[in-house]
Amino acid sequence: MAEMMKGNIAIAEAAVRAGVRLYAGYPITPSTEIMEYLSGRLPEVGGAFIQAESELAGINMVIGGASCGVRALTASSGPGISLKQEGISILSDEELSAVVINVVRYGNGLGTLYSSQCDYNRETRGGGNGDYRCIVLCPSSIQEAVEQISLAYELAEKYRVVSVLMTEGALGQMMEPVDLPDFVEPKRNPWGFDGKYTYKKIGIFDRDSMKESVLLKEKYAAIKENEQRWESEGVEDADYVFVSYGLPGRSTLGAVRQLRDEGFRVGLIRPITAWPFPEKAFAEINPGVKGIITVEANATGQLVDDAALAIKKNSSANIPAYALTYVYGVPPIKSIKADFKKILNGEIREVY
Amino acid sequence: MKEIVFAGFGGQGVLTSGLIISEIAVNRGDNATWIPSYGSAMRGGTANCTVKYGRETIYNPAQEEPNLLLAMNEPSFQMFINIVAPGGIVLVSDIVNCDLNVRDDVKVVKVPSSAISQELGNPKGANVVMTGAIVKLMGDFSKEEALAGMERMFSKKGKNRFAEANVKAFEAGYAAV
Repeated sequence: MAEMMKGNIAIAEAAVRAGVRLYAGYPITPSTEIMEYLSGRLPEVGGAFIQAESELAGINMVIGGASCGVRALTASSGPGISLKQEGISILSDEELSAVVINVVRYGNGLGTLYSSQCDYNRETRGGGNGDYRCIVLCPSSIQEAVEQISLAYELAEKYRVVSVLMTEGALGQMMEPVDLPDFVEPKRNPWGFDGKYTYKKIGIFDRDSMKESVLLKEKYAAIKENEQRWESEGVEDADYVFVSYGLPGRSTLGAVRQLRDEGFRVGLIRPITAWPFPEKAFAEINPGVKGIITVEANATGQLVDDAALAIKKNSSANIPAYALTYVYGVPPIKSIKADFKKILNGEIREVY
Repeated sequence: MKEIVFAGFGGQGVLTSGLIISEIAVNRGDNATWIPSYGSAMRGGTANCTVKYGRETIYNPAQEEPNLLLAMNEPSFQMFINIVAPGGIVLVSDIVNCDLNVRDDVKVVKVPSSAISQELGNPKGANVVMTGAIVKLMGDFSKEEALAGMERMFSKKGKNRFAEANVKAFEAGYAAV
């Protein structure tokens, strides 16, 4: 029987089961239960848990673990993830695989503790310096989150990149029934350091960035081609297609089904990977669609940029893209329905 | 799908009351979600959680329009009275002494949960008294289903030693409405 579990705890246990054997990080609401749980749990399975002196130290310890081919994890939120960006850029540059969990909370600077999706741009673009992307998974239920932990490592190791599990404060704090995945036997990646000096030392001025760039471009193109994930419903005959992920995506699915029952031809694309963005999902949309509508928990509208680009790629018609932004929390089904009607009567204007 | 908001002072056990109801639902094979207000709360401040349960898919786990509001103190009553669904129930404890007749489209039920739990010699059990009242008022679970779910919830938390006191508190609340 599926058990009621808190999101953060279920995610932490799923990480242990996925073979994670190093956690290093620094606490911050609403992500703290992940490390609190692992502080007791990782030693039980022979893993290492380190409460680092800062987020910077934590991500650098993850670089160490990843260099040795161990499944290494860190988690944080808001400004804590900002502090880890240098390390994420280094992991990406060294082609080391690791997973970073962002339990997203709302606001700029120190921000607030509210559940939100305001870090969409940062996670999908890469918040550190350079020319890299992270694979970004965005679960809409605790069940989906626990299944995405092992997927995050598989993808990170396949492409030698960093995977980000982008959850939300509310998903971390809520409880619902969950079936935990089975245990994976932890194994060291063969490319990890083995204690012998078998690698050729390459200094910063020995690198051929032009040559590297070809491989870099190929790698990210392959991820974009192969790893788009989404769920969609009712897009083939839709007049309007909603695009929304995470908990707002789940609320939007409820709104879409109610609107369908009321006679509105609406559909939903729920991205499961925020990067690569599921552009392919947009190829299935009714060619006569009148608009696409993002539902987002941020103030300015971030997802709408990707949704607008994806519809542009798949249609030569100039299809309007609207953004319903609810700042923080999970938008109620009735608010989404009411705002949809404001789009129909012209009260809410398109963004693009 | 049903929605209940549990609200009161931190320490009154409203989050636990919500957990019991969600466990009862899941134990019976229903879907359920439990979501707390979290963050900048402090001991003695207000706390609340929202539980949704039912056979169908639960789309939005967050607060929308509760069928029942449990208000264990006055600030909770004031804060949530206006979001209760028309035709819904407002269950208040005996420490709530403000004017309760502010809406004519909801049913207000007062249960002396503090007095009952004191009489039972279990002053911390007022939340479980109210849980019993909620099960009866909602009418979605039999008493046996509810007691089985509650027992499971507390045994998972390693709190079996309070089982008898909890059952007594639950029964008293169940009988009080």
